[in-house]
Amino acid sequence: MDTFAFLLAPFIASLILTGIHAYLGVHVVERGVIFVDLSLAQIAALGTTIAVLYGIEPHSTGAYVVSLVFTFIGAGVFSTIRAKKARIPQEAIIGICYAVASAAAILAMSKSAEQTEHLKEMLVGNILTVSWFEVGKTAALYGAIGLFHYLCRRKFLLISMDPEKAEAEGINTRMWDFLFYASFGFVVTSSVAIAGVLLVFCYLIVPSVGAMLFSEKIGKRLAIGWTMGTLVSALGVYLSLKIDLPTGATIVCTFALVLIMMALFRALFVRRIA
Amino acid sequence: MERTPSDMRRSCVTQTVGCGVTYIGAAFAARKVLIKMSKSILAVGALLAFSVSSQAASKINVMTATEDLAAIAREVGGDAVTVDSIAKGYQDPHFVEPKPSFLLKLQKADVLVVVGLQLEIGWLPPLITQSRNAKIQPAGSGYVDASAFSKILEIPQGQVSRAMGDVHPLGNPHYWLDPDNGRRIAKGLADKFSSMQPANAAMFAQRYAEFDKKLTEAEKGWEAKMAPYKGRKVVTYHRSWPNFCERFGLDVVEYVEPKPGIPPTPAHTLDVINLMKREGVHLILVEPYFDLRTPNSIASQVGGQAVVLMPSVGGTKEITDYFKLFDYDINLLVNAFSKVK
Repeated sequence: MDTFAFLLAPFIASLILTGIHAYLGVHVVERGVIFVDLSLAQIAALGTTIAVLYGIEPHSTGAYVVSLVFTFIGAGVFSTIRAKKARIPQEAIIGICYAVASAAAILAMSKSAEQTEHLKEMLVGNILTVSWFEVGKTAALYGAIGLFHYLCRRKFLLISMDPEKAEAEGINTRMWDFLFYASFGFVVTSSVAIAGVLLVFCYLIVPSVGAMLFSEKIGKRLAIGWTMGTLVSALGVYLSLKIDLPTGATIVCTFALVLIMMALFRALFVRRIA
Repeated sequence: MERTPSDMRRSCVTQTVGCGVTYIGAAFAARKVLIKMSKSILAVGALLAFSVSSQAASKINVMTATEDLAAIAREVGGDAVTVDSIAKGYQDPHFVEPKPSFLLKLQKADVLVVVGLQLEIGWLPPLITQSRNAKIQPAGSGYVDASAFSKILEIPQGQVSRAMGDVHPLGNPHYWLDPDNGRRIAKGLADKFSSMQPANAAMFAQRYAEFDKKLTEAEKGWEAKMAPYKGRKVVTYHRSWPNFCERFGLDVVEYVEPKPGIPPTPAHTLDVINLMKREGVHLILVEPYFDLRTPNSIASQVGGQAVVLMPSVGGTKEITDYFKLFDYDINLLVNAFSKVK
């Protein structure tokens, strides 16, 4: 009973992550901004570091607000970098933001008079030690954001998949891009705090890549992504217990294994059918 | 009904591959797999709980944060306790990656001994909370902070202000590197164990007395070996050695890190080199988990040597107990001092 109880919270948390990230991943992959989550998470971490530099406690509401403000600034930057025939790829800007935010956080820490030794570790969560309170809070938050995206699904999907058409229809792509990146940054920041950077990246990208192997349609892709995320979460948590490995990293590697098998399956069977 | 792990793995994998084509079917199958998986997890849990309760009924189950504390707990606890450590001696105790087994062990612990002073703040608190073991919560009867027994150095005096730079609010957490503190921790643990098992109090007291005697004996040897180098100046990478250096008469004049946890900067490295040249300092003491490049390049600039000392029991295979920790480090130091004149 005990073992099960320990792993239930991480497992439920990973299902919540699957739910929202597999969906957001479809957008991210469509937009071709694969590393935007790492970049936004790093910008949020820079916000927290700067809050700490000014004497705010790392886990307080104040620090959270500062990191959120930074996330929104990042979202603002990312919503302006999309041009129809841009010479500079969006990924370049995203990469620059990532590097600069990481470096600036190191600079801020080196100037901080408080104890900064553990700050990095405290910002990055570990899915094994997620608490039920965090699980509940995250479920409520992501539910609200999911609902927002569901209500505006036509606009969100259109600006991601066919921005030209969206503009032709008179949709303010800048604003909707900002709303997308802002809600996305909000989710990523909260996810990184409970599950760590690597795991969040995997939940975002791998299910949608796996689903793209088999379907073009958004609905199908989501269904495949969610199924894959759920199975991999269960398998990863189980293996981490069985072999006693760090839970987050085990789930990440399980994702890779399953993705390879899905690709093999497609190469062996699906093409022949088609 | 019971399935082996390899069966489980195979079935999960097949389901996942299948989901590409018929994802709805896979979702149903996934639920089945999940139910089965949770059943087998239950079974494993029950098995573990059973085996532990039947075998360790009368022993005190002690978990420690580090192997140094485990080594001391073994010295005084003897056969009346089972001891296990979370962090291994070769790991940096500031950063430990949590694993499921830690939660299981913590859940069954009667006592948890921590280093404290925020050394484990980056990883231990959530593990303690999630262990759902009331005894080892910070306010619980089984939570032992070994720093409470020890002599702590570098505690900020008076008002701590930002202008003082990076100050550890509670003092330096590497205090176990003074054998005197090892003795104090042993005493504290012996008292703790006695209060939990009054029937064995005499045995714990005796084992403590033996440890004390053996340690006093060993200290004479260590001090004799270090005596020729008393007052020598050294540089250390991290602030891990104030207790060790104070005890064995070394003078730490500078750190390779500009601030604890901040990687070396060029200006600071240059300062260190100049200081070492000016004051004739030849040794840089480095913990095994730091990059040796900067210490080595400083050492080559000043014609000195970077020495990797072990801060913990279990840092290498030969350091199996608290005594061998000091044997190892002091032998290395004596060797290094004799080489650099």
